[in-house]
Amino acid sequence: MTQMPNLVPAYAEIFLALSGLLLLMVGVFRKTDPVRGVARLAILAFSVAGVLVLTTNAVAVTTFSGMFAVNAFTSFAKLLVLLGGGFAVFLMLPWAKNEGIARFELPVVMVFAVLGMMMMISANDLISLYVGLELQSLSLYVLAAFHRGNLRATEAGVKYFILGALASGLLLYGSSLIYGFAGTTSFVGLASALSSAQENVGVIVGMVFVISGLAFKISAVPFHMWTPDVYEGSPTPVTAFFSVAPKIAALCLFLRILVGPFDDLMFQWRQVLIVICVASMLWGAVAAIAQSNIKRLMAYSSIGHVGYALIGLVAATPEGARGMIYYMLIYLFMNVGTFAVILSMRVKDRYVEGVNDLSGLSKTNPAIALALTVLMFSMAGIPPLAGFFGKYFVFVAAINAGLIPLAVIGVLSSVIGAYYYLRLIKIMYFDEAGEGLDKPDLSTGVVMGVCALAVVVFILVPEPMLAGADAAAAALFQG
Amino acid sequence: MYAAAIFLPLLGAAIAGFFGRRIGDRASQIVTCAGVGLGAVLSIPIFFSVAVGGNEEVVTLATWINSGTFETAWALRFDTLSAVMVMTVTCVSFLIHVYAVGYMSHDDCKPRFMAYLSLFTFAMLMLVTADNLVQLFFGWEGVGVVSYLLIGFWFKKPTANAAAIKAFVVNRVGDFGFLLGIFGIYLLVDAVSFDTVFDAVPSHAEDAVTFFGIEGHALTLIALLLFVGAMGKSAQLFLHTWLPDAMEGPTPVSALIHAATMVTAGVFLVARMSPLFEYAPAALEVVTVVGASTAFFAATIGCVQNDIKRVIAYSTCSQLGYMFFACGVGAYSAAIFHLMTHAWFKALLFLGSGSVIHAMSDEQDMRKMGGIWKHVKVTYAMMWIGTLALVAVPPFAGYYSKDMILEAAYGAHTSVGQYAFIMGIAAALMTAFYSGRLLFMTFHGEPRAEKEVMDHVHESPLIMTLPLAGLAIGAIFAGYIGYDVFIGDGRDMFWRDAIAVLGNDPIEAAHHVPAWVVWSPMVVTLLGLGLAYHLYMRRPDIPGRLAASYPLVYKFLLNKWYFDELYDFLFVRPAFRIGRVLWKRGDEGVIDRFGPDGISASVIAGAKRLGAVQTGYLYHYAFAMIIGIALFVSWIVVGG
Amino acid sequence: MIAAAIAFYVFATMAVIGGLNVIFQRNPVHSVLWLILTFFNAAGLFVILGAEFVAMILVVVYVGAVAVLFLFVVMMLDINITVIREGIHKYVWAGLLVGGVLLAELVTVFTSWVMFDDAASLSTAPTPDPNVITNTEALGNILYTDYVYLFQAAGIILLVAMIGSIVLTYRTRTGVRKQVIADQVARRPSDTLEMVKVESGKGLQ
Repeated sequence: MTQMPNLVPAYAEIFLALSGLLLLMVGVFRKTDPVRGVARLAILAFSVAGVLVLTTNAVAVTTFSGMFAVNAFTSFAKLLVLLGGGFAVFLMLPWAKNEGIARFELPVVMVFAVLGMMMMISANDLISLYVGLELQSLSLYVLAAFHRGNLRATEAGVKYFILGALASGLLLYGSSLIYGFAGTTSFVGLASALSSAQENVGVIVGMVFVISGLAFKISAVPFHMWTPDVYEGSPTPVTAFFSVAPKIAALCLFLRILVGPFDDLMFQWRQVLIVICVASMLWGAVAAIAQSNIKRLMAYSSIGHVGYALIGLVAATPEGARGMIYYMLIYLFMNVGTFAVILSMRVKDRYVEGVNDLSGLSKTNPAIALALTVLMFSMAGIPPLAGFFGKYFVFVAAINAGLIPLAVIGVLSSVIGAYYYLRLIKIMYFDEAGEGLDKPDLSTGVVMGVCALAVVVFILVPEPMLAGADAAAAALFQG
Repeated sequence: MYAAAIFLPLLGAAIAGFFGRRIGDRASQIVTCAGVGLGAVLSIPIFFSVAVGGNEEVVTLATWINSGTFETAWALRFDTLSAVMVMTVTCVSFLIHVYAVGYMSHDDCKPRFMAYLSLFTFAMLMLVTADNLVQLFFGWEGVGVVSYLLIGFWFKKPTANAAAIKAFVVNRVGDFGFLLGIFGIYLLVDAVSFDTVFDAVPSHAEDAVTFFGIEGHALTLIALLLFVGAMGKSAQLFLHTWLPDAMEGPTPVSALIHAATMVTAGVFLVARMSPLFEYAPAALEVVTVVGASTAFFAATIGCVQNDIKRVIAYSTCSQLGYMFFACGVGAYSAAIFHLMTHAWFKALLFLGSGSVIHAMSDEQDMRKMGGIWKHVKVTYAMMWIGTLALVAVPPFAGYYSKDMILEAAYGAHTSVGQYAFIMGIAAALMTAFYSGRLLFMTFHGEPRAEKEVMDHVHESPLIMTLPLAGLAIGAIFAGYIGYDVFIGDGRDMFWRDAIAVLGNDPIEAAHHVPAWVVWSPMVVTLLGLGLAYHLYMRRPDIPGRLAASYPLVYKFLLNKWYFDELYDFLFVRPAFRIGRVLWKRGDEGVIDRFGPDGISASVIAGAKRLGAVQTGYLYHYAFAMIIGIALFVSWIVVGG
Repeated sequence: MIAAAIAFYVFATMAVIGGLNVIFQRNPVHSVLWLILTFFNAAGLFVILGAEFVAMILVVVYVGAVAVLFLFVVMMLDINITVIREGIHKYVWAGLLVGGVLLAELVTVFTSWVMFDDAASLSTAPTPDPNVITNTEALGNILYTDYVYLFQAAGIILLVAMIGSIVLTYRTRTGVRKQVIADQVARRPSDTLEMVKVESGKGLQ
């Protein structure tokens, strides 16, 4: 009869799924402070999963009838996602305590969301892609609306849910078109079908739909409209999670699917993606200027950053892929650090989100001000901080791929974008001091410090990270 | 030891400048004085080892710029020329530092002032010990910057700010010439290091360059450009206007700028580049004429000025003219000798006048002084010594150096030399006159000050009079001691390769001039002093009547030959007009409007518009997505 | 074959009409009812395709559970139709334009229907002969072997959906008395009754 599928490559996912179930039980039966216990176990689960990814995903194999693929690229992406998830749970702990959130489901759902992302990253078939994506999305809808008593959070959840359903619909529609014309959903099958057959407008239209569905997940223009509202309405640790993990996962999936099965349609998808990329960079840079809520501002900032990362994708060279992974890695630290700062914006035991609440922070709380300054400079792409190198690598990749106008627009929009990053610094250092913030929680402070430090020391020790990104990019282009 | 002498002032300046507030006034004063003082102490053995012992040294500190064939290092060059300069600069500067402690005792920003003084000294030391033109330029600009800071030290005074800006701008004009000169040298010989340049110059003696379509002698052009730089820094005719205004700074600053540092840099430059200038005889003639004219011109103005410091300032200008025409006729050693003696007695005169101003409750106008000699006997004596040195009465320092310059000018037996000699004699007459006038108006006659001021007149404290005494010793003995080695029989042993002279030795010629040439300066000096005595002691009514009967001449001199007005008309106002047009129409009207301002305005407008798109309505968002996908699909189907 | 063709066109036409009515009905309850009709017709189409299991699932799950749930919700919410319709005219032309463009393109795509050479064989590859093995059994065969990954993943998705719906709606209400059987059974007279002797002339303290 049928053989048992090879489970080894999926050990990390299987472990995470089982841990999710276990955490649910722990949460239900643990009487005292279930949130803390479950959250800690979730971090533990992420760490173990990370180790499993490292140990079991070394060689490129597929399993589950070719639906699930692992290689150096997927493991690198998974590690980033796990890191993002771990940071988010870590940031959630003090927040839950301060806000009196006593519901352990939050970390559990986060675990499932991360599981979905890992499945997306490893997807090797349009069906498994959709299933992973849907697991991720559904978890995120729940997370967005988690503050159910809060009108904004509920609104954010509903908006995200409906628009997400629309995006999933687009994705499914595209997939069915592709299936209808190509007769297969497997990435490998698609690749061979597309390389042998001539251009087929049905498959191309299907691909455009799939691209649109994925663009929604990374909140790229024009599928970004949900982002500011959802970022603002969701609980802050969830926003931090939103802004890193799903984006990394979806971008990596994007990269895999475009240079994998759709490699032969590069001429077509490049046009679409250049538009998305340019529009995201400019929109993110310009629209953020008018924002006064820091979470909304970060939403636009993330739209812009996705645009920059997409430059690497558009280049579609190993160099570009490396640049993109690299960008996401740096972006992870910058964003998590910034959200740690946002989570330490508490005045009299109440969370605040206004940009002007940072007024004169350099006087009332110089350490936080310094950390945020470093992070903002890095986001603006000012050397010698890490953010500069992220941009530098994708721009260089674009230039080497002959996409000089794209690099020029990227530089210009990063100049515009620098305005609002620097504005935050100006507010902190030159505006009249307000009431001052409460002392930040220890773990928030630690995350903030670690991220700011990572951004600063990056220039000193880039080799280990570069080596990982190199190996990942190389693995992507082997198959 | 060599590096220490140069860098101790910098260390002192850094400590006082950066930590002045933390360590306090007293500590700042001590640390800067100690820095410069130690430098002065070290400079003496350096002088004896280098100049007397003949151990020339180049201390290489680090590579500075290494780009292609262009290579330059941080290096300290110690030959006789720089050893003389280092000793003069550090010693005089040290005395001025000590004096400043007393003079600035009522000021609120003592650490800043002391730090600037030390930094100034350091910049000057970098200038004189430079081993290449680029490093020399570093020191040159350093001096320029700190002079700006020092002249504008009382930055709350608008006149001080204006004077500081003027000094800086006029210097920049000269610096531009200097910079072009350096470029020219690099173009010609492909090097900026002195040794390389000097070795290469003879082989380029006949090279020609085309400059703005006119073919000319390359070395002459370079020498003239360098001289433009020197004119700016040394306040020679046409670029002199900043010097009198620089009196807006505190008196120790005036002393430092006029005596030991800054203004002497131009003379030093010409002497340093003497191997090059010697191959450009035409340039040397220009130097002579400009120097001689300055000597005369500045002296005429000095005769009618009423501000005690301005009189001395014009005297400096005039004396620098002497030094330049000495260089012009090839008597570089005499020029440097005069530079050295001048440093002592001019510092003495400035600090003495500072002491007077101090005594007169910050009054600088000589018309409101008079009859105070009994109250400030020490200062009075010091001013006499300084004056006698300045007007070249034997055996004071100025006598040895100034007479030698005049003799050398005569001994050159050229037409420009004769011109310089005549101008020099005339200037000497006027020098004696205005110096005497200064002394008599300030110290003698009826008191013209208000009674409260007169009651308050007092001798300065010891910390101010002791430096005066130190400078007085220099003003008395420097000439006598230095005569033999600088310009006497020992001069060849002394200078060796530091100064180059082609052809006849002008000093040698100066020793063989007719007797009337030797005696004429002496005669005109006594004449001048006598005239001053007659006009200001015996018949004090005459000057006023003279001024009234020749109003045009008087006004012409009083207004400094209308140079400021002329420049204002020729350069300043047109420049302002052009600037205003470019600013209002060009920059704001075109560049800003369509550049930064326009872009930022449109970005902000765009931000608002994009924000308006974000309505919050779900169906708008969904609709945006649908529009997006419709556009993409259309594009691909139609265009792709 | 004629019968099958006629059946297809009937089901297909009814499905489209039903779909249109779902959108255009003013009363949401009517919409749901039209939706149920659409589901039935879709199930009919599946039967024609020989996928009777999927057809039955569609009827049982969508008609029996989902649609009925929809009905409940719609009835309970009491939606004000006029408010929803408000402002629709503002967007109707833009909507029609975009929709029209999209439709035209999709029509272009479908009219130029060129499948890849081996697409047909690829897509029918997993389908065994219906005469040998029943539809349900065939599905079961691959569902738990080739597609076990997707099956498990779908299970987790449902779990998340369940957690989500509980988290977002369940609340512990205070002031509500609930029956706890175990407490009632465990109740003893000594827990609640106290025997006191009341002296005459004095009340209970």
